[in-house]
Amino acid sequence: MFLRLGGWLAAGAAASACSPFYVRIAAQVRPAVAWPAAGLEIFRALQRLTFGPTAAERIEAESVGLPAWIEAQLAPMSLADPVADLLLRPLDSLSLEASDLAAWDRDDVIRELRRAALLRQVYSRRQLHEVMVEFWTDHFNISVDKGDCWFLKTIDDRNVVRAHALGNFRDLLWASAHSPAMLVYLDNQANLKGAPNENYARELMELHTLGVHGGYGQVDVMELARCLTGWSVRSRFWRGDFTFRPEQHDQQAKEVLQVHVEPAGQAEAERMLDVLALHPSTADHVARKLVRRFVGESLDRYGELIDRTARAFLDSGGDIASTLRVILQDVSLGQSLEPKFKRPLNFVVSSLRMLDADTDGGPALQDRLAAMGHLPFAWATPDGPTDEAAPWKGGLISRWQFALDLVSGQLDGTHSPLGPWMEAAGPTTPEAWMDSFGVLLLGKEPDEDSRTALRSIASGDEALLVAGLLSSPAFQWR
Amino acid sequence: MATTLSRREFLEALGTAPLAALPALHTAWPSWMPRLAFSPPHQAPRGDVLVVVFLRGAADCLNVVVPHGEDAYYRHRPTLGLPRPDDRRSGQVQRVIDLDGFFGLHPALQPLLPAWQSGQLAVVHACGAPDESRSHFQAMDLMERGLTDLHGPASGWIARHLASLDTGNTSPLRAVGLGERVQHSLRGPVPVTALRSIADFHLGGDLKAAQAMQAALAKLYQGEGELQALGRETLHILDTLAALDPVTYRSHREARYPDGDLGLSLRQVAALIKADVGLEAAAIDVGGWDTHFAQGASEGLMAGLLDDLGQGLGAFHADLADALQGITLVVMTEFGRRVYENASLGTDHGHAGLMFLLGGQVEGGRVHADWPGLEPEQLFGPGDLAVTIDYRDVLAEVCLKRLHNPVLDQVFPDFTPKMRGVVRDGA
Repeated sequence: MFLRLGGWLAAGAAASACSPFYVRIAAQVRPAVAWPAAGLEIFRALQRLTFGPTAAERIEAESVGLPAWIEAQLAPMSLADPVADLLLRPLDSLSLEASDLAAWDRDDVIRELRRAALLRQVYSRRQLHEVMVEFWTDHFNISVDKGDCWFLKTIDDRNVVRAHALGNFRDLLWASAHSPAMLVYLDNQANLKGAPNENYARELMELHTLGVHGGYGQVDVMELARCLTGWSVRSRFWRGDFTFRPEQHDQQAKEVLQVHVEPAGQAEAERMLDVLALHPSTADHVARKLVRRFVGESLDRYGELIDRTARAFLDSGGDIASTLRVILQDVSLGQSLEPKFKRPLNFVVSSLRMLDADTDGGPALQDRLAAMGHLPFAWATPDGPTDEAAPWKGGLISRWQFALDLVSGQLDGTHSPLGPWMEAAGPTTPEAWMDSFGVLLLGKEPDEDSRTALRSIASGDEALLVAGLLSSPAFQWR
Repeated sequence: MATTLSRREFLEALGTAPLAALPALHTAWPSWMPRLAFSPPHQAPRGDVLVVVFLRGAADCLNVVVPHGEDAYYRHRPTLGLPRPDDRRSGQVQRVIDLDGFFGLHPALQPLLPAWQSGQLAVVHACGAPDESRSHFQAMDLMERGLTDLHGPASGWIARHLASLDTGNTSPLRAVGLGERVQHSLRGPVPVTALRSIADFHLGGDLKAAQAMQAALAKLYQGEGELQALGRETLHILDTLAALDPVTYRSHREARYPDGDLGLSLRQVAALIKADVGLEAAAIDVGGWDTHFAQGASEGLMAGLLDDLGQGLGAFHADLADALQGITLVVMTEFGRRVYENASLGTDHGHAGLMFLLGGQVEGGRVHADWPGLEPEQLFGPGDLAVTIDYRDVLAEVCLKRLHNPVLDQVFPDFTPKMRGVVRDGA
């Protein structure tokens, strides 16, 4: 099937670059729906490794085995990703440089960036990569609402987060520190000789590397801020590029974390980035966050796993794939995984993926995520959207509404036709529907209590049956 | 969750609090509500409605309520300092609004003057937490949990207040987090729902489908578990709000809430209070206060935030003029900001901040402070306002006197509050 792609693309370039064309081709490249078999182990593991496993992913992981599937995912560029590539093709802003983007309409740039994130989460085959992109996007959070971040975040997304999501943490941290979006977001362009602005220096240690209990103090914050004076962003020619301004840099010696830093201009903070990147506190901080994301939030239970993960981080010199592998081996065992509550974005994207829905990632979908408090790139504070379950649990009503609107075609640009599923199943009974959709969405047939509840709405109405399953307590967990 | 006694059975067994004394509405809630599964240590009639407005990001409190009587304030803040009330070099609208000859309000807080003049608004200055991390996230975490260090309970202080006090109120709207997420202060054994707006809190779309869905949800969320309890609570709120007559909770014609999230949230709280649906505690977040860069003085970034805050609280005060005797609203922030301005015309993380108290039984028209001063030798750490009143002194006094909760060691464990005389006892 992929062989025919080249011809389509050539034809497309000749015709026009309008997006429906690519959507049409993408629809033909996507595999036909096929019902997955019940298999809770694979399902549970894939829930952590993807934004909600599609039937095709379950079937594939079942056939090659989970370890092989994970290894392939850890080398994302080895996986062809034609559907996501096609759908992203019309989004011109994704490949532009900062100075070009600055001339664009603000809302268009932000909307395209969000659209790209959602399309990738829904359609990319490189799911583990996308999961890690979300992880680092949260870790190095930047809100597009701050200053020039509205166009700088597009560059940060491409050159920092996506470039290094499964690469090396030192490179990731280095790229983030040199990222104009980060410098603007945390006010470092205003960090000047004589009266430093502490904002970035503090969050660099507290959130990005050592962690709040990582062994630094107020003096270290102030000294690191002095190292970072002059790290700035071009405002006129090459607007939006990184620049170091020696005249704004504090030329005196500094001492950060008991490291004596001789005057060396831009190299001072770069030296500290290397110290911070592979500091044992950083290893522990990153390990804890990864375990929380992939395993569960009862971190007290996972002390041994956290230690092993932190050791792998240090032993590999900050290699993210090697670090992650330690955790994924535990996840792939699937044994008694602590249930993890889906954050709103995961609830929405998993609904779409599991049902093989069509979406343009456009305004209607983005509005829903905003109303749930989980629109990408909108989190105002540098801690990033919380990975704890508790704050999100109070928002069930917007999930129920989403489920209802999804199945009844009330979301512009997002549709979840059930026809293909019915055709793939052939003639069947209402009870069998319940089993099949239960396996598709929950990994297993619904329990007796749920069946009773679902029968009351779903007599002959498959759409409501699906809305009920998406709204049920079980679907809120991964 | 092991339910032993329903609350009604519980009360009857104790022979206390005759149900007839409670508003009829509040006896109508079913007995399965999970908050009844434990027996609160103390019973009391409902006190005030508590509204907590949290300014996220550490508000620069020295520019909210300005110590204009301090020369040092103007030395530390050559650019950001707000002109004295009598400073004729600046226009009237740029100057501090004097409160007591020493402190004054930022000019954007002008809408708070009616509340101040009627003695229903108090300021508690140089107050805050002992935590010195200067980390937003640790400071907010500790403050919302009401703790000195991270070793205490994970639940929030309002949640523990609700859990430790039996007010005979089983409304699903006993506590609400305004916005999309439930605030940490409300997280605990009592399930709390996030509510953005009353108007949006319903299942929309095809009526028959929505009804069928709602019926199924009631069954799907029948089992045990925290999420199931939250689901049932959500359904009850749906029913409660659907039954409300919009006329009973419309805003007073003189109340002009500002556009935006704060105005919307305050208006929802006012509506819930007027509709008398059993609201006891509400939490509201206001973001954007982390003003490291170009915060401005009489105008600019922070003035805009204060304008919104002043208008919002002013409208709330006007809207609920007849109900204020039963309301205590608290404004707080995780810490204050550095006394001296930074080179980017902003301020970095500091230490002490301030609190506002608004309500009918507040010791208002006063700035409560044990003022530490702003001279260099009086500053704390890298140049910060010292904390002379623990924020828990204030909250504990509100709990005790206004919310009828004497079990303060459960709300603020390992802390002995000092009563500062910021609110009055009784009705």
